[in-house]
Amino acid sequence: MQVTPTLNEGLKRSFTVVVPSADLQARCDARLAEVARDVRLPGFRPGKVPASVVRQRYGQSVRAEAMEKLVQESVDKLLTEQNIRPAGQPTVNLVSAAEDGKDLEFTLEMEILPEIEIPDMSGLKLTRLVSKVADDVVEKALADVARRNRTFETIEEDRPAAQGDVLAVDFVGKINGEAFDGGSAEDVNVEIGGEGFIPGFSEQMEGMKVGDERTIAVTFPADYQAAEFAGKEATFDLKAKALKRAVDPAIDDELAKSLGLENLEQVRKIISEQAEGEYTQLSRMRIKRDLLDALAEKINFEAPENMVNAEFNQIWARIEEERKADRLDEKDSAKDEETLRQEYRKIAERRVKLGLLLSEIGRKQEIQVSREELMGAMQQEARRYPGQEQMVFEYFTKNPQAIESLRGPLLENKVVDYLIELAEVTEKEVTPEELADMPEAAD
Amino acid sequence: MTTKIVLNARKTAANLSEEALYDVLRAPLITEKATMLSERNQVVFKVALGATKPQIKTAVEKLFDVKVAGVSTLVQKGKTKRVKGRPGRRSDIKKAYVQLVEGQSIDLTAKLG
Repeated sequence: MQVTPTLNEGLKRSFTVVVPSADLQARCDARLAEVARDVRLPGFRPGKVPASVVRQRYGQSVRAEAMEKLVQESVDKLLTEQNIRPAGQPTVNLVSAAEDGKDLEFTLEMEILPEIEIPDMSGLKLTRLVSKVADDVVEKALADVARRNRTFETIEEDRPAAQGDVLAVDFVGKINGEAFDGGSAEDVNVEIGGEGFIPGFSEQMEGMKVGDERTIAVTFPADYQAAEFAGKEATFDLKAKALKRAVDPAIDDELAKSLGLENLEQVRKIISEQAEGEYTQLSRMRIKRDLLDALAEKINFEAPENMVNAEFNQIWARIEEERKADRLDEKDSAKDEETLRQEYRKIAERRVKLGLLLSEIGRKQEIQVSREELMGAMQQEARRYPGQEQMVFEYFTKNPQAIESLRGPLLENKVVDYLIELAEVTEKEVTPEELADMPEAAD
Repeated sequence: MTTKIVLNARKTAANLSEEALYDVLRAPLITEKATMLSERNQVVFKVALGATKPQIKTAVEKLFDVKVAGVSTLVQKGKTKRVKGRPGRRSDIKKAYVQLVEGQSIDLTAKLG
């Protein structure tokens, strides 16, 4: 094997490799002999097929196979000998396929992973934002819970329904004079002036008495969730059956019991724990952002172009899709194609660099993702699809590479944890609003 | 008398049209025996049952552009086989062993033009 470096510029490397045809020939012959042992041909006893006949029949495919293997091996050998860690797959171009005594020659192009120097992380200062769960937040959540569990009390007096009253009605909805599917119901509690119905529906019920009948006309909003009704006009024949009053249950142990918990204290605890969990998550996101920003500043290596390209293409594909669906956020759609491209290119580059750096730190510190952690992540993933957990698990067991895709983020998080531990962390108390107010995402 | 017939046979064989030549030779026979014989400069063909040695000789000479020293033929009778209890018969095959003149050769893998 003869190797000539042809390019050594930045992260790009290319080589011309020449493998003498004798090498290939020897491999072909060996492989042919192997084939000959097993081959069955009419007119020949098994294993007695002469080499010349085997060559005639299988020569070409064996040759192609041997050539591929030889190229692969030479590439591997070259990489280990020269101690090169390529970024992505090297590109192989055949210059001359070895034929009839000609030598096999190919060029090899690739980008190498940059020398990653782990920046000095000591002295890194980070601020962890902390928020306490305020009492009024808990109380508000409690009130919400109460409202969701409210009951209706029938009012006996015979008076027209006013704002805030609840009317139990039967109704039949019609579009163009014909009753439509799902447009009719009986004994529905509708709060006058309340939300949750088609706009204008409950408002037009004001003033109805028990036993009254009334026909109202409404227009479905253009963004109504059932697309076949959106924007259509409909009439509803209403019949009031009972006048009621909504009663919020008292916030006490009784309410807790109806929720399946022991007492009010427990409800409070769960609510505040939930809020706390949210805060910690937010605060972690913030500190991670700060850390990554700090790291990004210290990065002093170039990112391999093909990795950046791959990342960029992925981002760009998403952008295109959003644009097609007209979901691009306003700021982005205001920019022209060129600026947008450049911006996302920068983001891609930052991501690749950070990714490389983090994995390098992980490698140096021997941070690894254990099996249990992977399983945990899998379970979490499964929980996101309630009712289909089994299918998610099956998917993962059948697709080992899908599990691998979980490993990346896990490793990243562990490395981030490690770095946060190294850094000098000061705590700072902020209000929940400040905590939620993330600076604009750059990654 | 005999000589005349032989002469006639050669004459007719020599006058076979191009298409008829292709009908004489059916396929090369590639077997262990045939590959062994190729070292002695012999090639083996499956030929039409009605083909005569002179015809085979002209056919090989013209189609492969070689000189033929001699032809031996044999008819291999088809075996009687039973399919679902009913007797049937495989077709007979006529084989021709063609001895080429020294220095000549045929590449059986090459396509006939």
